[in-house]
Amino acid sequence: MEIEGRRKFLGVCLAGASVAAAAAAAYPVFRYLSPPSRGPGIEKVAFADTDLAEGEAKFFEYAGATAVLVRTKTGEPVALSAVCTHLGCIVQWVKSSQSFLCPCHAGQFAADGTVLAGPPPKPLPTIPVTVAEGKITVG
Amino acid sequence: MALFTKVYDWIDLRIGAREIVKKELTGYLLPRNINEWYSLGSVLLVIFTLQIVTGLLLLVYYVPDAEKAFKSVSYIMNELPYGWLIRLCHAVGSNMMVAVLFMHMLSTLFMGSYKSPRELNWLTGFTLFAIVQGISLTGYLLPWSQLSFWATTVATNSMSAIPVVGQFLVEFLRGGKLVGPSTLGRFFALHVGLLPVLIAALIGLHLFVLKRTGISTPPFGGTEPTRPWPGDSYRHQSHPGGIPFFPNYALTDLTSISIYFAVFFAVVFFGPNLPFTPDSFVPADPFKTPAHIKPEWYFLANYQILKIFPSELLGLMVQAAAMTFVALLPFIDRSPERHPLRRPLFLTLAIGGILLWGALTIWGHYS
Repeated sequence: MEIEGRRKFLGVCLAGASVAAAAAAAYPVFRYLSPPSRGPGIEKVAFADTDLAEGEAKFFEYAGATAVLVRTKTGEPVALSAVCTHLGCIVQWVKSSQSFLCPCHAGQFAADGTVLAGPPPKPLPTIPVTVAEGKITVG
Repeated sequence: MALFTKVYDWIDLRIGAREIVKKELTGYLLPRNINEWYSLGSVLLVIFTLQIVTGLLLLVYYVPDAEKAFKSVSYIMNELPYGWLIRLCHAVGSNMMVAVLFMHMLSTLFMGSYKSPRELNWLTGFTLFAIVQGISLTGYLLPWSQLSFWATTVATNSMSAIPVVGQFLVEFLRGGKLVGPSTLGRFFALHVGLLPVLIAALIGLHLFVLKRTGISTPPFGGTEPTRPWPGDSYRHQSHPGGIPFFPNYALTDLTSISIYFAVFFAVVFFGPNLPFTPDSFVPADPFKTPAHIKPEWYFLANYQILKIFPSELLGLMVQAAAMTFVALLPFIDRSPERHPLRRPLFLTLAIGGILLWGALTIWGHYS
């Protein structure tokens, strides 16, 4: 009985030590492989008003992702996230129809980001835009 | 525990796990006088596994491009969390693998375990030793430091002494006249692709041969009757009445592995600069040869031999002859006697050889 107890105690000690050793090995590996925190990225982007013609779109990096600035036929610039709300592909601007098309699963968005057709569940998020002194500032 | 037993029963019903465990672990009997030196093979398996794991982790961030390699290694060492630990484990591990391999081979030599019918064990082990040196040499270039660059230049250049094909071999190995980006590409492919696969395959073959022939009985401290192999038909050397591999010898393996880890981590944490020289921290400059460039410690004897002999070809031939002699030892030394003290010629040659190798290494270090 005493031997059984000792055996069980040593088994528990060995299991505990093995778990501790495994954790000590796994933690540095986890930290090594974790993506580095790079901060929020660029949160304000400015363009010259003349850079964007009517009916054209301009893609750029914004807050660590891809965004798009489009000047609709009404002349007002609109900034949107260019990441499709379905599965994360980057939408493409179709000048002829003045709308966005996601090439992955044919999701369609209007120039203001609202869903026109296809599987996207939500509109493209909008980003604030200000126009002053010949400059378009996004963010 | 009940859940564990249930899962074990479930697997056992399907693949006969208990039968395998009995045959390969608890019923796998080893000589009663087996000693700690026999566990060095298990230590080497652990080291090789660790090299694969740390090597894979380094591959996540390492860039095999002459313009970016040094920067990527600096990034791993200085900026990534625990990158220094992964890199040091890999660099120290490669040195330790060669050191433990030396010990494993020496114990095999002194206990006469290389002798008939174990010629194949020795040959596969010796080939593994040569390939491990090759993987160390190719890995040495990858950080693209001054040390890597110039040590590789010297090491590859020594092949030019081979008559007729020497210069062609050097250029073929380097991918050009000089060590450069194409050498890095070649060495990288060898280091992470071909050589690890070769080593894994040879380890498999080494273990297969070991299992088929059976573990040798140590030449001292035992009473097990020895029945010399007549050589007329295949015979597996079994050890009836011996000790089971599990749990008895597995504990000895575990003890040796723990001692190895104690030494390994002592170097990693308290002597992290041991595998490096100041030239390891300077990016490669093909226009500036640093003073006193030296190879790794296990190549110092070879390096010194090349320096001693007036002709490089003669130096290479002496080394090739010595290596061939050691590789073919089971076919040269055919006496069945395995006790080192009853083999005076072997003992003199072995100790003389080790002392000579040690002296050449020290000489090479200080020359």
